[in-house]
Amino acid sequence: MSTQAPAGLEQHVAETVTALARTLYPHDAVPDAVYERVPAKIAEAVREDPAQARMVADGVADLDRRGDEPFTKRTGEQRLADAEAVAGSEFFALVRSTAVVEVYSDPATWRVLGYEGPSFAKGGYLRRGFDDLDWLPDLPQEG
Amino acid sequence: MPRFDDDQDGVVVVVGSGAGGGTLATDLCRAGVRTVVLEAGPHHQPGQFIDDEWPSFAQLAWLDERTTSGSWRVAQDFPNLPAWTCKTVGGTTTHWAGCCPRFKDWELRMRSEHGPIDGANLLDWPITLEDLEPYYERAEDRMGVTRTNGVPPLPANNNFKVMGNGAQRAGYQDVSTGRMAVNSVPRDGRPATIQDGFNFQGDRQRAHWSTLTSELPKAEATGNLDLRPESHAFRIAHNGGGKVTGVHYLDADGHEQVQKARVVCVAANAIETARLLLLSESPQHPDGLANSSGQLGRNYMRHLTGSVYAEFERPVRMYRGETMAGIVTDESRNDPDRGFVGGYYMQLLALGVPFLAAFLEPGAWGPDFAAKMEAYERTAGMWLVGEDMPQEGNRVTLNRDVTDQHGLPVPNVHFDDHANDVAMREHAYGAGEAVYEAVQAVRTHRVTPYPSTHNLGTARMSADPADGVVDAFGRAHDVPNLFVSDGSVFTTGAAANPTLTIVALATRQAEHIVDEMKAGAL
Repeated sequence: MSTQAPAGLEQHVAETVTALARTLYPHDAVPDAVYERVPAKIAEAVREDPAQARMVADGVADLDRRGDEPFTKRTGEQRLADAEAVAGSEFFALVRSTAVVEVYSDPATWRVLGYEGPSFAKGGYLRRGFDDLDWLPDLPQEG
Repeated sequence: MPRFDDDQDGVVVVVGSGAGGGTLATDLCRAGVRTVVLEAGPHHQPGQFIDDEWPSFAQLAWLDERTTSGSWRVAQDFPNLPAWTCKTVGGTTTHWAGCCPRFKDWELRMRSEHGPIDGANLLDWPITLEDLEPYYERAEDRMGVTRTNGVPPLPANNNFKVMGNGAQRAGYQDVSTGRMAVNSVPRDGRPATIQDGFNFQGDRQRAHWSTLTSELPKAEATGNLDLRPESHAFRIAHNGGGKVTGVHYLDADGHEQVQKARVVCVAANAIETARLLLLSESPQHPDGLANSSGQLGRNYMRHLTGSVYAEFERPVRMYRGETMAGIVTDESRNDPDRGFVGGYYMQLLALGVPFLAAFLEPGAWGPDFAAKMEAYERTAGMWLVGEDMPQEGNRVTLNRDVTDQHGLPVPNVHFDDHANDVAMREHAYGAGEAVYEAVQAVRTHRVTPYPSTHNLGTARMSADPADGVVDAFGRAHDVPNLFVSDGSVFTTGAAANPTLTIVALATRQAEHIVDEMKAGAL
């Protein structure tokens, strides 16, 4: 994985958090860059907080200890089982709550899921399909 | 805009600039009354609103520290966000899809209809639908509500085609795009909707009625409005004669200011209204200002709430267009044979990807959750809004162990569902699923209530001062020149989205205050 370590997190920690984020919210067509937002955001949050930074590093070490290979090298199935095993931890809660915001806020994810987002600058959806659903009949509009 | 003197004790001070406060202030200004509006949030213009859910949330939502307790799931999933309201000029009218059902006559007298119900603190409103009707008519006209006053209906969008066809096939009769305070044609200096969605993000296009775009500018034009954004009221002062004399607030720099007042009207939304009155305790009012009944902060209601989302084989694209322009009203009837009293509406609802991920199944993760999100484009949604029971224990109190950024005790919101709420929600989930199954949903999802935007009841109206905080005009039973002007005054919640009724009540209250001033009684 080519994750550039964000300032404040070691490269291996950042890569593991990225892999965990993809395990939690797996969308094959969503690029790694989206999942890399998660360690970047966490790095920002822990930069001034050594105790939190340690908690994250310990969480990664704990994940790594759960197999012969580091978490990042395991199969998807193994990662899922390991994620399940640490689901009650503070580390997991931080990664999950950060990931659910970061992964689904990225326009690259929106493109994969078919969400077009803002339209005001394009004149809204008035002439861009707000009522183009054609697999059900139109409803009569009474006054 | 004029800046009235702090010592000018002839002004009316309104705390809050949302549906209640913004409307009230505008009517007072038009009647020639000098009015100071203290708004805790900043003054954004529509061009500054952000059509992106989380950044907009950071811009508009009330995010000051709060705590929660009770058995409701919100206390686990969102322990510091009991409600989803706004801290900005325009208040929570900047987070508003525009649904405008009226109350029904029986919804104002639930106690008489049903007698006492175990665990519920039911009480009839001190006013009837007949009292309200002329004000509903005026409110609908000023808000430009579709299907009233000749304003044409909104067109059906994709999400509504799914819910509407499903509802008709499931046997429902009253299915339409609803009565909406959204321009279907240009009106009142605002354009018709361009169907750009983002109804909860401030409404850049200005097609929705809000106090920000539709009321306060008219108030300003009178020369009688002194609007003070970033002004956080924290104490209402009173004199030995039992009248309020002014409002203490923190300005944008955190400095304490005091604005004297002839009359004070509190419209800070149900949680902050109760908190402000509780914070204004004094030797004469040891349990909070105007709380001789002991009902201040109690009977907090947040509506039934819940949502049903459904996946289909083909695209829906629910996010395109007006977020909530669709309603099924059949279940809003009062029919205790269903196993609960009161009624509910099914209303259209769409969320963008960021918020659907947050609210579809709070805390969920893994391949099954991701598969639900993969179906986003093929997903339709509805919201279930119905009457919840007032309960004495559902309550806003001061949490003296936790303080906010100003050092003030934060509000704690305690909530437990009543058995009637649970029964109604179960029924509503089933009804919503039946609607979508009637148009061949692949699968349906029941979504748990999330932080509510409908917050009601914490300073309720009552005929008898022993039963509530304010009278039929929203005037405090205990303090003659103190009014409450928001959804806090709701004696019971009804099924209807509250904004239309808040506006109607504020219009009625403004008229009353002006009459009382003219009569020398205020």
